[in-house]
Amino acid sequence: MTQKSLLTPSLILMVGLLTICPVFMLVLGSFMDGFGTYEGFTLSKYVTAYTDPGLKDILFNTLIFTLGSASVATILALFLAYMNTRTNIPFKFLFKVISIIPMMIPHILFCVSWALLLNPSNGILNKLLIDIFGLSASPFNIYSLSGMILVEGLLDLPIAYLIIAPAMNSFDVSLEESSKVCGASNLQTLLRITLPVLRPAILASAILVIVRSLASFAVPSVLGIPGRIYVLPTHIYRMISTGFEPDYGQASAIGMSALAASVVLIYLYRYLTKESSRYVTISGRGFKPTLIDLKTYKYPLFTVVGILSFILIILPVIVLLYTSFVPYSMVPSFKAFSMMSLKHWHSVLVDPISLLSLKNSLILGVGGATIGIVLSIFVAYVIVKVRTRAAGVLESLSFLSFSFPGIVIGLGFMWVFVQTPLYGTLWTLLIGYIATYLPYGIRPLSSAFIQIHDSLEESSRVSGAGALTTMRRIVIPLLIPGVVSGWILMATMFVRELTLSVVLSRPGSEVLAVQILRFSEDGMWGQLSALGIIMIGISSSLVIGVTFIGNKFSRIHAS
Amino acid sequence: MEIQIKGLTKLYHSEGKTIKALDDVNLTIGDNTIFTLLGPSGCGKTTLLRSIVGLENPDFGEISIGDEIVWSKEKNIFIPPEKRGLGMVFQTYAIWPHMNVFDNVGYPLQNQGLPKSEIKQRVAETLKLVQLEGFENRPATKLSGGQQQRVALARALVARPKVILFDEPLSNLDAKLREETRKELRTFLCGLGITAIYVTHDRIEALALSDIIAVMRAGKVVEMGSPKKIYFNSDHKFVADFIGRANLIEGTITECTSHHATLKTAIGDIIGINNHHLSVGQNAIMCIRPEFITLAHTQTSHEKNIFKGVMENLVFIGEAYEGDIKIGDTLLTTTIEPTENIHDGSEIFISFSSEYCFIIAS
Ligand SMILES: Nc1ncnc2c1ncn2[C@@H]1O[C@H](COP(=O)(O)OP(=O)(O)O)[C@@H](O)[C@H]1O
Ligand SMILES: [Mg+2]
Repeated sequence: MTQKSLLTPSLILMVGLLTICPVFMLVLGSFMDGFGTYEGFTLSKYVTAYTDPGLKDILFNTLIFTLGSASVATILALFLAYMNTRTNIPFKFLFKVISIIPMMIPHILFCVSWALLLNPSNGILNKLLIDIFGLSASPFNIYSLSGMILVEGLLDLPIAYLIIAPAMNSFDVSLEESSKVCGASNLQTLLRITLPVLRPAILASAILVIVRSLASFAVPSVLGIPGRIYVLPTHIYRMISTGFEPDYGQASAIGMSALAASVVLIYLYRYLTKESSRYVTISGRGFKPTLIDLKTYKYPLFTVVGILSFILIILPVIVLLYTSFVPYSMVPSFKAFSMMSLKHWHSVLVDPISLLSLKNSLILGVGGATIGIVLSIFVAYVIVKVRTRAAGVLESLSFLSFSFPGIVIGLGFMWVFVQTPLYGTLWTLLIGYIATYLPYGIRPLSSAFIQIHDSLEESSRVSGAGALTTMRRIVIPLLIPGVVSGWILMATMFVRELTLSVVLSRPGSEVLAVQILRFSEDGMWGQLSALGIIMIGISSSLVIGVTFIGNKFSRIHAS
Repeated sequence: MEIQIKGLTKLYHSEGKTIKALDDVNLTIGDNTIFTLLGPSGCGKTTLLRSIVGLENPDFGEISIGDEIVWSKEKNIFIPPEKRGLGMVFQTYAIWPHMNVFDNVGYPLQNQGLPKSEIKQRVAETLKLVQLEGFENRPATKLSGGQQQRVALARALVARPKVILFDEPLSNLDAKLREETRKELRTFLCGLGITAIYVTHDRIEALALSDIIAVMRAGKVVEMGSPKKIYFNSDHKFVADFIGRANLIEGTITECTSHHATLKTAIGDIIGINNHHLSVGQNAIMCIRPEFITLAHTQTSHEKNIFKGVMENLVFIGEAYEGDIKIGDTLLTTTIEPTENIHDGSEIFISFSSEYCFIIAS
């Protein structure tokens, strides 16, 4: 009994430390004069940071970048969701693929592949177009605000789709049908009925993408910095990494506004999605919407979807593979293929720092996800099954980190760890990762716990099974799918993590994504691509391996 | 197997308030009976059932099954549910989604450690009993509501329990299936010769299924008896009203014979059965069920229990007319033969047989 009643408070303490502590230290740090010594309260950091004449441009860029990406992602998601749920477009399995697979390609690699294709000096696609049309200059420049918006929009498309598609799916079709009965055409119905009714979902998706792009570091660093286009995260990054005197205080002062904006937006998002109950179960309505026949537009529209999936999934991998084999950036040709070699692969595999980052990322991925999932099991259990007021506090606490931009929270952790022996070790990364990505573990486990309705355990007890047998044969097998997907999500997130790592990683604790960023800053595309392919390989084998083990495990226990 | 419940009380504490879900419940459930707990939602039926099974730990009292005390506050006995040897059908069926039908049904036997061949044979037998022959390898999630309900029944029966308990097992079925299953279940349970405790809030289900009905209200058992006793001769106004439609007319007793009494009411003197031996001068309530109000064609109203009224709110529902008869300021609900030639505003005479009107203390 006492053990049980201690569970919730100790979890609150633990999660609270993980999420509140860095924020608290960030606030404290923004008023400190030096770094590492907590003395000398000063407002000077705020004054310097916010009177910087360059700040206006940065804020403007940030605004355009986030709003632009939100529009791109949401409009594309609406188009795809509509095509999937409402029309007779062929090959619908593609939509499922589009909504899941891109999450498996690390953001930084996606950005790099676009840089390789469309950078103004030697982008493969640019060169190709110059050759074909005899142009005098590169037609596209990905190192621009619109380039950044395009790539960020594509990266956030899956998130937007996952919000909009279910809303579109549970849409009451009779609303549309009655519009048609009233004499409106398909297009009029879409504009005057469907979209307005879907407005909450559309807004929710847009807000979430804004929060995402506000926290995004891969796109602004890989595509923005070369074009000297700075947004808030890269502005902060510049303050703590460039020059010989990094200014953590000033960075924290700027970070405060990113944090505040993000928290407000997430609050808004929660408010908008509060209505649609969080745990939607199967609805009783058995209607099947009649599909709109696209007729002659069927295949042209399908081509659009096909191209989108190609761009999102296949193109990045092909570009990276190709670049890892050719000696320097060149248009695919007979010459290029004849010059292919394993040179870059070789140099990566003998590069001590690359190898170290590989090892570190593996340790963090496997170890971090394992620790994280154990914590998630307890937290999800308390949230779903204990359900006291304290459990509600725990729930809010553990989802808080969703609203914190990674680089800002990284700064907070810097302030937490700077005085401790953990500073500069892998532990800082491990703790930071778990704190930031805890919701990824809790989500699938909460749904697993929700599925294990009390009566499933009770009927086992009445059937003559003791508590242990019930645990082994009923609870654990039903929990395993949640554990597996939570673990996979966390592990893949950790293997690719960039935003926190870029702040927290120090010589000796390099990780894959940071090493890739270094390669990109130095223009070493070949090595970068080889290491990137290795990174994708690791993520994919983690996914496949763990799914396999999970399937096996749950089958053994069920029978 | 007889079940005895003594002084059972269960308190819930939520948000600073204390709810008495069970309030000093005393019951004896005889061997081989189909015993129903009937009552409005929230009256504590589920709590009582779960206490018997061992899923709930009450605050006071004692429960024994057969000769064995399974739970006692004073003697500090708590036998866990898995050791009580009972079978239960849950309201949600609680079919385990990761197992097929065979594993769901065979689970209790597997827990007893029976040899595989015997489990296989007994699962097959039980599935046959509930008309799910050959369903062994179906995934449990691919079954219809009615099939799930029968898997849950099979699982509760497979270990040949001493007592089987049901918590509103039909409430998740659609109306037609519910009616069919209700009939089947009665035949089925009688054939098994088993003690069954059945929880429902549906009065028709209770009347149709049970040997004995216990009507509950706010954590207490108000009244217990055979379906006919409860319907024709309830001791309490609440029970009379809950178990079927009833006209309840208040009055004062003016005259008593050995079995009957006359009640002076707003519509006149009514003679009815006086089971509770109420005496002259006491206030009481006359209960008249609509189906026992008949049209009287005689104008000669010297007889007792004949009244003149006006027809109102008459609706035709196929097998009968339903409507209200207005006598003075009193409205009596009634059903009338569909063949009668009658309409709103008709002046009619009605009579009720004194054998089917009963007097309840108010
Ligand atoms: N776990 C619980 N916590 C607090 N109150 C409860 C709990 N379970 C039941 N109750 C309360 O106890 C009373 C009886 O509930 P229950 O036995 O489920 O009623 P029934 O099955 O007759 O509808 C209700 O008022 C209900 O709100
Ligand atoms: Mg109930």
